[in-house]
Amino acid sequence: MKKIKNITSLLVVVVLFAVNCSAQSKNKVRKLEYNSTYNYEVATVAVGVDGTKLIKVWGYGKKVEDAIRKAKQDAVACAISRGFPAGAGGRAAATPAIVTDSDVFTKNEAYFTTFFEPGGKYLQYVNLSTDAPPSGADRVKVNKKTYKVGVTISIAFNELRKEMEKEGIARSLDSGF
Amino acid sequence: MKKILTILLVVAAIANSYGQAKKPTIMVVPSDRLCISKNFSMTFDNQGTEIVLPDYKKALQTDGDLRLIISKMSGIMADRGFPLKDLEQELKNLEQQAAETSMMMSKGGSELAESPIDMLKRTAKADIIMDLDFEIKQQGPRKYIVFTLNGLDAYTSKNVASAAGTGAPSSAAAPELLLEEAVLSYMDEFNGRLMTHFEDMFAKGREVKVMVKVWDSAEYDLEDEFDLNGETDEFGIFIEDWMADNTVEGRFNLSDGTSNFQKYEQVRIPMFYERNGKQRAMDTRRFVNNLRKYLAKEPFMMECKVYMRGLGEAHLIIGEK
Repeated sequence: MKKIKNITSLLVVVVLFAVNCSAQSKNKVRKLEYNSTYNYEVATVAVGVDGTKLIKVWGYGKKVEDAIRKAKQDAVACAISRGFPAGAGGRAAATPAIVTDSDVFTKNEAYFTTFFEPGGKYLQYVNLSTDAPPSGADRVKVNKKTYKVGVTISIAFNELRKEMEKEGIARSLDSGF
Repeated sequence: MKKILTILLVVAAIANSYGQAKKPTIMVVPSDRLCISKNFSMTFDNQGTEIVLPDYKKALQTDGDLRLIISKMSGIMADRGFPLKDLEQELKNLEQQAAETSMMMSKGGSELAESPIDMLKRTAKADIIMDLDFEIKQQGPRKYIVFTLNGLDAYTSKNVASAAGTGAPSSAAAPELLLEEAVLSYMDEFNGRLMTHFEDMFAKGREVKVMVKVWDSAEYDLEDEFDLNGETDEFGIFIEDWMADNTVEGRFNLSDGTSNFQKYEQVRIPMFYERNGKQRAMDTRRFVNNLRKYLAKEPFMMECKVYMRGLGEAHLIIGEK
């Protein structure tokens, strides 16, 4: 009887350990995805007014405000390194990235650390956003610690491109001529 | 202090010695389909065959939508450092130029020298043509735009950049607004592709076309044999060797040829050459002129004419000037 008890206890410990490992591994993957410079959840909403792009972007954070801030940063980062996909139903054509080099952030780490810091220069290129905390389908509680929030943002794309060209990060169309 | 000044002077000298590549001119031209479908066309009877040609002047003078699109595109391109050549203004200039040329006279009563080929060359030209096509279509009460923009290299006839698509249907927006929206929507995509073309050009050289021809008065044709450095071969083969030695990474394609002509396509010429210690921009005329100089030497000793067709095409005509 004692032997059975011991085996059961051992099994329980093993199962708990496995579950814990799996959860830890899942958390690790999630953390890596949150921090990835390639992971942007962006959709083009419509053609923006002259020089701007109207997009919807999803951000993650412990609080709704943090998620909104992350969404704004992601929108600007996505404009620089990945561009925006075409809008559904012919709403807008795809927008190419300002910089074609996918390692732009690592190559210019010092500049972008300052650029994207809280209250940093990136905010200059976020024209309009639904700053009031989103509700309904645009505000999802992923788990106890994380919110996923969708905000519609107008990016001052042309101004952002000019800034990148001025800093020598992006090549201008007429450079070399 | 002296050291710093010397470094600064050296840096300035290096910066000064680097030239700028020849900037291609770009012009928006309404597509043949657009002009013909809107009745902006001229019809000719060419020996029994009816030929329909676009009438750009009529199109630009009467179509407000076209003017709106061209104006919007011009603004965007100027913002990117590429002010567009305006087709309407170019046509007006050509008319004015033709009138002035026919009236101009020196004090001694001489007229301006103008060969038939000079007259033929008086046309609206650009290095890259933005071939524009659009149509406002209706689906029930809703309107939508079908938009096509092709960037065509005038010399290689290659489509170097394009953007096309169908806009979202709308029953509220005016057609003009939909057109403006289409331009704003597609221009970034178009410029992205144009940028890729320019990057390729700087990496692998400018892609041009070179024609080698022979005057009927020429002493030799391209199949005559010569001795060069102990090697005997056909004249045309030596020209091909020169192309291999002088193009970027030996990139060119002899696409056709006979004893009287050679057609070189996809010829990658360097963007710069050095003259008097300075980097200068290379164009096809300059490149072909180097071939002319090579053929003027032993063992060929030939006189050749270089005929230029814009930035990206030149002909070398063997036999005389």
